[in-house]
Amino acid sequence: MTGLKGIVLAASLAITGLGAGSGLAATPAPAASPAAAAPAAAAAAPIDPMLVRDGAPELAPTVGIGQPGPHNEITIQPQVTANGRYAEWFHDWILFPLIVAISIFVLILLAWVVIRYRKAANPVPSKTSHHVGLEVAWTLVPVLILVAIALPSIGLLQAQFKPAPANAVTLKAIGNQWYWSYQYPDNGGFEITSNMLKDKNDPNFAKGDRARVDADGPRLLATDNRVVLPVGVPIRLITTSNDVIHSWAIPAFWIKLDAVPGRLNETSFTIEKEGLYFGVCSELCGARHGYMPITVQAVSPAVFAQWVKAKGGTMPAPKSASQPAPALVETGDPQAVANAMGPVDNAAEEAAPTTNQGATANPGASITGK
Amino acid sequence: MSGAKNHAYHILPPDIAPIMGALAGGVLAAGGIMWMHSAAYGGAVFFLGVALVLATMFLWWGKVLTEAKAGDHTPVVQLHLRYGMVLFIASEVMFFVGWFWAFFDYSLFPRPLLYDAATHTVSLVTDAGAAAASTWPPKGMEVIDAFRFPLLNTLILLLSGTTITWSHHALIHNQRGGALKGLWGLIGVGENDGVKKGLWLTIILGLIFSSIQAYEYSEAPFPFKGINYTSAFFMATGFHGFHVMIGTIFLIVNLMRVYRGDFTPRQHFGFEAAAWYWHFVDVVWIFLFATVYVWGGWGAPVHAG
Amino acid sequence: MTDTALSGHAFEAHDHEHHHHDADHKPGFFARWFMSTNHKDIGTLYLIFAIFAGIIGGAISGVMRAELAHPGIQYLTVLAEYLPGDKNFDHALHLWNVLITAHGLIMVFFMVMPAMIGGFGNWFVPIMIGAPDMAFPRMNNISFWLLIPSFTLLLLSPFFGGAGTGWTVYAPLSTYGEPGPSVDMAILSLHLAGASSILGAINFITTIFNMRAPGMTLHKMPLFVWSVLVTAFLLLLSLPVLAAAITMLLTDRNFGTTFFDPAGGGDPILYQHLFWFFGHPEVYIMILPGFGIVSQILSTFSKKPIFGYLGMAYAMVAIGVVGFVVWAHHMFTTGLSVNTKMYFTAATMVIAVPTGIKIFSWIATMWGGSLSFKTPMVWAIGFIFMFTVGGVTGVVLANGGIDDYMQDSYYVVAHFHYVLSLGAVFSLFAGFTYWFPKMSGRMLSELLGQIHFWIFFAGVNMLFFPMHFLGLQNMQRRVPDYADNLEYWNHFATIGYMIMAGSMIVFFVNVIYSLFAGKKAGDNPWGEGATTLEWTLSSPPPYHQFETLPVIDGGDHH
Ligand code: HEA
Ligand code: HEA
Ligand code: CUA
Ligand SMILES: [Cu+2]
Repeated sequence: MTGLKGIVLAASLAITGLGAGSGLAATPAPAASPAAAAPAAAAAAPIDPMLVRDGAPELAPTVGIGQPGPHNEITIQPQVTANGRYAEWFHDWILFPLIVAISIFVLILLAWVVIRYRKAANPVPSKTSHHVGLEVAWTLVPVLILVAIALPSIGLLQAQFKPAPANAVTLKAIGNQWYWSYQYPDNGGFEITSNMLKDKNDPNFAKGDRARVDADGPRLLATDNRVVLPVGVPIRLITTSNDVIHSWAIPAFWIKLDAVPGRLNETSFTIEKEGLYFGVCSELCGARHGYMPITVQAVSPAVFAQWVKAKGGTMPAPKSASQPAPALVETGDPQAVANAMGPVDNAAEEAAPTTNQGATANPGASITGK
Repeated sequence: MSGAKNHAYHILPPDIAPIMGALAGGVLAAGGIMWMHSAAYGGAVFFLGVALVLATMFLWWGKVLTEAKAGDHTPVVQLHLRYGMVLFIASEVMFFVGWFWAFFDYSLFPRPLLYDAATHTVSLVTDAGAAAASTWPPKGMEVIDAFRFPLLNTLILLLSGTTITWSHHALIHNQRGGALKGLWGLIGVGENDGVKKGLWLTIILGLIFSSIQAYEYSEAPFPFKGINYTSAFFMATGFHGFHVMIGTIFLIVNLMRVYRGDFTPRQHFGFEAAAWYWHFVDVVWIFLFATVYVWGGWGAPVHAG
Repeated sequence: MTDTALSGHAFEAHDHEHHHHDADHKPGFFARWFMSTNHKDIGTLYLIFAIFAGIIGGAISGVMRAELAHPGIQYLTVLAEYLPGDKNFDHALHLWNVLITAHGLIMVFFMVMPAMIGGFGNWFVPIMIGAPDMAFPRMNNISFWLLIPSFTLLLLSPFFGGAGTGWTVYAPLSTYGEPGPSVDMAILSLHLAGASSILGAINFITTIFNMRAPGMTLHKMPLFVWSVLVTAFLLLLSLPVLAAAITMLLTDRNFGTTFFDPAGGGDPILYQHLFWFFGHPEVYIMILPGFGIVSQILSTFSKKPIFGYLGMAYAMVAIGVVGFVVWAHHMFTTGLSVNTKMYFTAATMVIAVPTGIKIFSWIATMWGGSLSFKTPMVWAIGFIFMFTVGGVTGVVLANGGIDDYMQDSYYVVAHFHYVLSLGAVFSLFAGFTYWFPKMSGRMLSELLGQIHFWIFFAGVNMLFFPMHFLGLQNMQRRVPDYADNLEYWNHFATIGYMIMAGSMIVFFVNVIYSLFAGKKAGDNPWGEGATTLEWTLSSPPPYHQFETLPVIDGGDHH
């Protein structure tokens, strides 16, 4: 961290960069913004109107996007990553129709049998107990159906395991009982801690805490510090834990990756739409397992850069995409790897994958201290 | 013919042993928990449980022996017993699969551990040296020399496998009795008595094995706690050792029964069960020796003497 | 099937006129029920135990559904007041985890398994193969009684803080995550229950291999016997691995080993591999006997032999075998490599094939039959459909890439309650109503039975179907509170629970009424369709049946 002065500097820098920013600034000021004057820094410099109190760019949640639907919704949450859209398509247009069809097929057969062969309609039972053709058919047809499922399924798995390219932004999510801490190793390694925002009437609400308001997000989903990530830029997600197993999940990204103590798990995704996306810890981790949500705010790369600077982080210098991947992958030191392959300011630049290694090859050797 | 038993199966009268055994198991478990959490009388309850379990076994198997003598163990019932023993051993094999699984997890995917022999502490390497530190056994550990006591123990167990087979053959061919001569004679073993000789030798070899194992544990260059290597090592070999002791006791019971003249060349399932069990313990050891001691310690510094 | 070949001539000599002889000489009360070596009495004990456990497990799930009816914490704080331990909010939240852990373990280990294997298996496997009892009658009894200290340990654990680890007892939450004796109590409870089941498995396999009546070849055994045989093998080979795993938990917790503690090089994921190597076969342990029960019932009430008997038998064998190599589909989000995920995706889907063979052969069994819809039959038909619904969502979950969304969500909860609470439990009620006359000598009320079925059917579908929606909307498992937008379907589910619970009252009234005042049951109340050996005996059967072994005449079932 560069200290208070750095933050102030960064904040003013960010303001100048606003013009280039996204349309985010046009978002109507949510109820939370007046309180944004709270931080001490405000006294030293005009606070960036784009930032809410936690320092994340201001954005209010949209019902039905990145969170459970408004009322009695019954479908998968809208997806904002390519793999997510693929998976959602696979589910909605292949798996779901198929299982409905199979269930209805079985139901119709049952209904037919029950009606046609009830005692009243068929007093004398037949004694057939074999039909080779039928038996072969109901063995082979499911085999074919399953092969037909397996093909796109394996395609999906492969797509999900495409390793993050060199220009990816690395987000390291660390599970704790019961909150998440995040590191941005490519951006100067600053760290933020993300706690659930409690409602005023929450039994654990302590005086002096900031209470949740609707602009923060729904109850149980809103956090005090949002994870900010750029859209259009591949994100390399690394998860681990300081105590028990947690799981980092954002349904709108189709991402769920366990945070296991002593291991570094890795996956990647690219967010396509700016917005606010909520998720929940998805592995039982003790009493407050239901109280450690995940909030990702996806912003344009420019705003992301501003936010990083506001947080005291740095943006890595652009570097040639053809630069060979450092051989650090094998050392099992992800921080070094991540730094060496860090993102660049110019997110549009296409980068070739640096390694063929599965993104989640998860070498047993990768160990972090506990 | 109705009402009278017309089959060779063994229909038992009601028996108190099962409920007593279950209760004993409960006391044992409760005592163990109390003890581990330092509750008052925890140890006492635990040992009460042990005593009850042993008493149940005594009572239970005592009845089985009486029933065997009474002729209840018809050929088909003996076949039951065979099935039962084979299946029990199969489940024991799967139990060891669990421990081997742990061992292979650690050894095939080693973690970057640093073991400090002086302080018996272990630390994780997190910097760039992690890959180099990811060895098996963990860096800094000295291992037990596979080709000293473990090899000796392997030979002992292999030998004991032959002595038990000798004894079994002698039993089948009724090679028993003969003049009481020399040292054997002093303990009531006749000249031609391969049954007793083989059993005695097997038991002695088993006891030697356990003693060597105990000595090896006490001299081990690493502690029980704190490292995956020692966890896997002590629990796998420890459970094996425990099975060796059970097997030895099983053999001792059979030796006593040989002295009592319980076995005939045609009916001696108790003997066979013990022999199977002994072979199973033997095979588990061969795997332990080959994987944990030899392969698992390969390349690591060997603890001197 | 054993069907026509067996319809009773071979052992006519042994009939109910002779019960008052030795065969029916019963020991006194204490000796009979506490020292039993009789498979039918032990089976009865198991069934009583399972019903008792089912009531407790079902009541706990009632508390859970009440809590989940609305967002926010309703009752947990109240519960925390009544249990020892801190009175703070976190303890109340912890109690949620205690409740679901107890619910899962009770339903799995103390309700379904004892009822299916210990209860129906004990009662009918020996009879169906024409044996006078189990191979090891004394061991049979310790299998039952071990459940008592085991269940006691589990039920007492909430009074020592409570084990809030989930039924999967994942490390390290279950090791350094929860000190205190409760988790040790749960672990040793599992040890005892495991020992009970392993001994039971040995007993069943020996009995089935070695005590079949003359002429009762393997390929003539009723499918229920086949199902218990396969189940027993799954138990025998999977439970010891669980025993090893939870022993590691125990030593990690109490003796300083580091099997699952990364600080000492341990691996939390290792525990999951060991657990699911047991856990997946376990789910088939819970359903295979149900498959067997349903097969008997369909054949009986269709008045037709089983269609594709051999295919049915070997489909179960195949499910058992393949069931051992698919375990990591429960671990898709733990960071498996891509190849591992592909393998487990493919292997898991394979199981749909033998299961499909079963579903279609059941339907073919009814096809052309002369169906009467007695209570057991409606349960069995309900089973086929509900199990299919649960099974096909399993196929969705089997896709590793899709599971990243579903894992740990209510979609999974919906899946496994469809195969368990609507699958296994349907088959339990089917078996119970089918064999009740045989076991008790009394008929159940057909009217109350039908009422129970239809209300239960409506209730559980309302209860569990919306959980699919909740899962797709991303409600995670194992939480007492949820985002407010999820209230609608949660509330709906709780209403479903209450409807289901109402039907259970009908069930218990029916059972108690019929036990005392039900119509007397004849030897074979179900008519010519019921061809297995139990229907040749009196209802209830003599204390020792088959004092003279029945001879099953030659000729194949084909
Ligand atoms: C009785 C118990 C039971 C049964 C029978 C099954 C059966 C199946 N289960 Fe299920 N399962 C559980 C109990 C059970 N399960 C439990 C308890 C859990 C959660 C554990 C926990 O985490 O707490 C779980 C979780 C679970 C998961 C992990 C989910 C997660 O946590 O992320 C998966 C993933 O693959 C899965 C898959 C399957 C499959 C593919 C089957 C198959 O066997 C189903 C096969 C049946 C059919 C497919 C229907 C009939 C077939 C046809 C009509 C033929 C035509 C069909 C096709 C061609 C598709 N199950
Ligand atoms: C066989 C297994 C089984 C059965 C029957 C049930 C039945 C029910 N279960 Fe569940 N459940 C599990 C196994 C089962 N469950 C498991 C393994 C988990 C996961 C735990 C974990 O996460 O660790 C779980 C979790 C679970 C949850 C999720 C909790 C969470 O994640 O936070 C919920 C929530 O509603 C729930 C509800 C219910 C309800 C309302 C019923 C109702 O259907 C209950 C009504 C009762 C009955 C239908 C049974 C009646 C039976 C008898 C009385 C015996 C009859 C006997 C004979 C005829 C011989 N269960
Ligand atoms: Cu953290 Cu659940
Ligand atoms: Cu499974």
